[in-house]
Amino acid sequence: MSEPSGDHAALEVVDLHKSFGDVEVIRGVSMRAHKGDVISILGASGSGKSTFLRCINLLETPTSGDVLVAGEKIRMMTSSRGIYKPEDIHQVERLRARLGMVFQSFNLWSHMTVIENVIEAPVHVLKIPKAEAIEQAEALLQKVGIFERKDYYPAQLSGGQQQRVAIARGLAMNPEVMLFDEPTSALDPELVGEVLKVMRDLADEGRTMLVVTHEMGFARDVSSDVVFLHEGKVEEQGAPQQMFSNPNSDRFRQFLSRTMQ
Amino acid sequence: MGDSIVTFLETWSPLDVVLIAQNFDRFLWGALTTLELTIMSLIIGGILSIPLAIIRAGNNKILNAPVWAFTYLFRGTPLLVQTYLIYYGLGQFEWIRETFLWGPILSQAWYCALIAFSLNTAAYTAELLRGSIVNTSQGEVEAAKACGFSRAMRLRRIVLPSAFRRALPAYSNEVIFMLHGSVVASTITIQDLLGVGRWLNGRYYLAYEGFITAAVLYFIIVLLVARGFRLWEKHWLAHLYPRDAVKVKPKKGLASFRV
Repeated sequence: MSEPSGDHAALEVVDLHKSFGDVEVIRGVSMRAHKGDVISILGASGSGKSTFLRCINLLETPTSGDVLVAGEKIRMMTSSRGIYKPEDIHQVERLRARLGMVFQSFNLWSHMTVIENVIEAPVHVLKIPKAEAIEQAEALLQKVGIFERKDYYPAQLSGGQQQRVAIARGLAMNPEVMLFDEPTSALDPELVGEVLKVMRDLADEGRTMLVVTHEMGFARDVSSDVVFLHEGKVEEQGAPQQMFSNPNSDRFRQFLSRTMQ
Repeated sequence: MGDSIVTFLETWSPLDVVLIAQNFDRFLWGALTTLELTIMSLIIGGILSIPLAIIRAGNNKILNAPVWAFTYLFRGTPLLVQTYLIYYGLGQFEWIRETFLWGPILSQAWYCALIAFSLNTAAYTAELLRGSIVNTSQGEVEAAKACGFSRAMRLRRIVLPSAFRRALPAYSNEVIFMLHGSVVASTITIQDLLGVGRWLNGRYYLAYEGFITAAVLYFIIVLLVARGFRLWEKHWLAHLYPRDAVKVKPKKGLASFRV
């Protein structure tokens, strides 16, 4: 979230709004992630942080606002019935392939083994030759420390292992930005560490990441920027050291005191 | 020696074993006809059921209505009635008798049975698959979306492979029902397995010989089908079982689920 420069941000969100029926969940959020940024998005439950993340790759269709991936704007239009929607679903699919996503509940494809999960999208979306995809997938599985389980099915793995596979699956697309939607919230406490460690490693190697999380330690120590959402708006944002040691807004201070005790 | 066995059987056996043995090749031909009809209708019905199931699982109202009507019509009426309507019913229409389909297909009992059976199993299988498709994990579909899969690709790579696997145990029932349902063929002059039993009965006035032989052969076929599905499930549903169950194999095989 450094100052805008001449070259494109890896990801840019402009004045995003999202309503479910009459309830406006996101009320004009803008964000800019440059290459190598690790942005933690914090907020109480119901603050709209997951919805915001899901609007970025259009798993939820925003009510208004723009998303740009590496400078390319997702073209939106208003239909004759007044619904805001993507103009060209193929463009959306192409840009989704450049955004890796890791879900709270892993969402691995249950009928495929670990390695099949990781090569699936590279082979069928990016059309990479299978042998090459396997080679690359094996390297990624080494990296997240789960290579020896490559022929297991997801149901045969622990939550932490599944989430690490899911991260490898996201990385296999060699994405512009990795989106993490509460990646550790569904894990047993003793499994959180192994996933956070992988995410830390990714941050260290300069991956651009947007992380919706409840892990204050991660937000404080790993991220380059922190955004605090409250009721669908950015309440406070800045560098983690400054925000955690000296919060400006009362709401973030309250949030910290509730979560850090 | 051989004579004395025959004499013994002819005198004391409650079943006329010799008669069965003499006509056993007929029974095997009958079994072959039954298998042919069943397998062909399962293949045709299965292929038909896939698009029907996709339509039923989707939310396109215009496409959904006729498919809904089709599946409810064919599941709501007996297979026997459907077969009669096609075999006896269609011939009443002058214009159908005049089409080129009449001679080679619609006037033939075998094809009429095949059409009725195929449509019938298509209706049941479509509903079965629909349930399986609808129950696909929404999260897995979202993950595919997030990876940039198109709708068609999600269906082909994620939803259908997963749905087919989950439908497999229930589908084995459909296969067995179809096999048993195929006896309807014998009521429209086809010499299927039951047809041979009926023929024997009609010719010698012996009910047990024909029907018990047919029943035993049906039973054997069902055993083989069930066995086949078990092996299939072991292969295709491996992802639903703990890994050591696959490797160590408890005595009773996979399906022995301890709760």
